[in-house]
Amino acid sequence: MINWGKVWSDFFIFLALTSNVGFIFSHDPYQLVIAIGVNLLATVLKFGAKKILAAELLATALVADLHLIPATILYFMETHVPLAIGLAIGAAVANVISIVMLVIEIIFEYQKEEEY
Amino acid sequence: MPKKKKKTTEKRYGNVKPKNYRAIYEEKFYDILFQLRYPLMTVIFFTTVGVLALMIINGKSDGTSVLNYFFHTVITFSTVGYTEGYDTSPDLLMVNRFFATVFIIITIPLVYMYGLVTTVNVFINSNIGEIYSYWRMYKAMENLRGHYIICHFNGITKELMKNLKKRGIKFVLVEPDQNLEKDIKDFGVEFYVIDEPHKRSVLLGVGIEHAKGLVTAFEDNTQDISVIVTARLIRPDKDNFMVFATATTEGAAEKMKLLGANEVIVPDVSVGRRMTSFILHPPSPILSGFLEKIAYGERTDIDIIEIKIPPNSDLIGKKLKDIKMRQETGATIVAIVRADGKMKIAPSGDTEIREGDSLIILGHPKALKRVEEFFKQHQRENQEVEVA
Repeated sequence: MINWGKVWSDFFIFLALTSNVGFIFSHDPYQLVIAIGVNLLATVLKFGAKKILAAELLATALVADLHLIPATILYFMETHVPLAIGLAIGAAVANVISIVMLVIEIIFEYQKEEEY
Repeated sequence: MPKKKKKTTEKRYGNVKPKNYRAIYEEKFYDILFQLRYPLMTVIFFTTVGVLALMIINGKSDGTSVLNYFFHTVITFSTVGYTEGYDTSPDLLMVNRFFATVFIIITIPLVYMYGLVTTVNVFINSNIGEIYSYWRMYKAMENLRGHYIICHFNGITKELMKNLKKRGIKFVLVEPDQNLEKDIKDFGVEFYVIDEPHKRSVLLGVGIEHAKGLVTAFEDNTQDISVIVTARLIRPDKDNFMVFATATTEGAAEKMKLLGANEVIVPDVSVGRRMTSFILHPPSPILSGFLEKIAYGERTDIDIIEIKIPPNSDLIGKKLKDIKMRQETGATIVAIVRADGKMKIAPSGDTEIREGDSLIILGHPKALKRVEEFFKQHQRENQEVEVA
């Protein structure tokens, strides 16, 4: 059975990474606005989720946000553009960790189902 | 190795997960965040869409323009609308205004009415202040060491808590009745939980493993018994963990003692005996209940202790006048209880100390501290001699 709620939340978590990586390579302002919007959405989606790694997932999402918000400000101020790109790369790393933990959690949940 | 592991699990009765009261309230706070999920998503989504759309329509992506578009989006869905944040040159004005109209029609109900209003509503209705005060109480409770656990909130425990508070002794109250919570709060109890005290997880949750003792004073004997048994199974050592209880009958009191209570008081019997003592020793302003006051800790300038003479004490065989305890400490030996249980009241200086004696000593609390030190010294010296 497909869990549509999971499709919905996982979609934003993956999109957060892809849009972020897209910005790193394109240096495009449109891409940056999409990236920060999607990252904030992915953070809010993790609120209140009572899973095994809920705290870690929320923490990585917050890390990504705290990289992207200053990156956005710096990028549009056009003062430290290389630093903004660097921050976006940092956010991408946080997003990758987030996805790794998502996979770990899927394995945990799979094992739990087996036990019953 | 596996054998050893099995042993430890068998040994410890309290091998259940302690109830974490702090985590319960942390989770409540987390539940508030959960309620904010969809409203906040709406706000973030439409803000991003608004900024992007304005960037595309006007074809500008420099910092100032993006900030203006962000500003325009926020003042649109917040119904403030100071000014037009986009390009107002004639060729772009019409497109921008058309977009703004559609954007307002969509975002006012969704972002303003649903997103922002729900967010504010969640904060108002979720009494965060109360959750925080509980959280703070349980966080401090986790650090308690050497405290007492008091079960049930009634007249007896109220008097007990009042006295403990006066002496700065920490305690945690466990009360199963939810309806009494307001009274408990009004009484000013520093740490309390509303839960069933006969559950292992609850007793472990209020820190029974670091506690000094437990008092259970239910009106119903069965409840007291279940608490005593549970507590005693977790902390079997009677000397390091005291359990005191009340019982309605002498028979129940005996049962509780056999099940692990250190002392059990039958309130009716105790009151009756105190009344008898008034009749036998008619009240005088000074003497009235003098000894009882000392025993109940109502006087802070005088106290009474019992010192047992261990077999390795070098005082054995000496006469009271020779040990010079009164000169050194300032406290007085008022009675000696011999090993066979016979009591010698007001012993003379020629009385000899024997092995297994219990000395009843009266004096100022500071003097009594010195007394304890005095007897310890005589013990240690003896041991050193033995080693040599």
